[in-house]
Amino acid sequence: MSLVSKMESKSSATSPSERRLHKELLALIKEPPPGVKVDVDSVGKNLQEWKINIDGVEGTLYEGEHFQLLFKFNNKYPFDSPEVTFIGSNIPVHPHVYSNGHICLSILTDDWSPALSVQSVCLSISSMLSSCREKKRPPDNTLYVKTCNKNPKKTKWWYHDDTV
Amino acid sequence: MDQTEETDAVNRDELIMQQQRQIEKEISDTIPLVSEEQPVDSLNNEYMGDDVYGSKVRDLAAKYRAIRRTRPDGNCFFRAFAYSYLEYLAGHKEDYDAFKELALKSKDKLVALGFPQFTLEDFHDTFMEVIEHVSPGENDKQELHKLFNAQGYSDYVVVYLRLITSGQVQEGADFYQNFIDGNCTIQEFRHQEVEPMYKESDHIHIIALCSALNVGVRVEYMDRGEGGQVKAHDFPEGTDPKVYLLYRPGHYDILYPN
Repeated sequence: MSLVSKMESKSSATSPSERRLHKELLALIKEPPPGVKVDVDSVGKNLQEWKINIDGVEGTLYEGEHFQLLFKFNNKYPFDSPEVTFIGSNIPVHPHVYSNGHICLSILTDDWSPALSVQSVCLSISSMLSSCREKKRPPDNTLYVKTCNKNPKKTKWWYHDDTV
Repeated sequence: MDQTEETDAVNRDELIMQQQRQIEKEISDTIPLVSEEQPVDSLNNEYMGDDVYGSKVRDLAAKYRAIRRTRPDGNCFFRAFAYSYLEYLAGHKEDYDAFKELALKSKDKLVALGFPQFTLEDFHDTFMEVIEHVSPGENDKQELHKLFNAQGYSDYVVVYLRLITSGQVQEGADFYQNFIDGNCTIQEFRHQEVEPMYKESDHIHIIALCSALNVGVRVEYMDRGEGGQVKAHDFPEGTDPKVYLLYRPGHYDILYPN
């Protein structure tokens, strides 16, 4: 049997994207990085939506706070980046986080690579929060929240200041 | 800027992105990831009545018997390289064995360089699977072509070559730093220009991949420049090329020498 037809018969059961998500989920449950916890009940049957709780890191402006991220994957994952937003009652006040939960972070769009993972995204977001020196919303927050598409990946982001 | 203008600007972004996606979809619907072999003078269809290109196509056709086109999706260099090199290896057992050995060892090397083992493994496994299936003993000559037109395999190969390239840039950081312009650090360059899919390749990508895999590549440059002939450039200089590519601004295709 040729490799291609083998893949096609395999994919009717689970697609490569589902296999990869499954593997990532197991790893995240078994060995979660500090302060990151996947909400197992929130994970849908087809693995296309996960909620992940992350804690503000000790010694940073967000110490003691708890946040929730929503990850959405399409069937082209990991070639397409996941759609990631903050959800829930506590959206971190941060210069790259809009009050509707959208995050301006280059690895979520332009600089996404299939070698990244849910775990590496969580760690990048956590370190983005940790390096913040002043809690404030992005300067264009009001307008953006009013006019943006529901999907943050449909925003053409301009990545400017990586140091905040 | 007043409020309406700003709102317009936001909507314009969305329109631009929509259009971009539409173009990408048209390309992927009409152009295969890798085409069948075509005569070199089929290039003329794109340059009707253009004297500069006309004479360069004639020059190219005198040196090469065929061209195989790749989809212009930003991955064309990596895809063209992989296809062409694996095709060569399928006919050269000794080189094939050496390459397989190198490919096997590459995973540990990349992990040692700091790539996450977890995601790397997937790409490495699929890469090895593809190499296995195009071994010199493989009877089905169409297998390589089928694999490279199955996105699930083709893109995995592209990713793995991007990671090998990135690893090489990291390893030779002192050398490659000289080729990176502006304020971009080696790390930024690797994460922004090498590892993500769809990012176009430059000399630095080619040099890094060729050195990582010990392969010589000849690129024939065809652009609007004077002279009426295509210009060959070998990477690394002075090596005996195993892979032949045609470069036209922004795009690479595969060439077959006479």
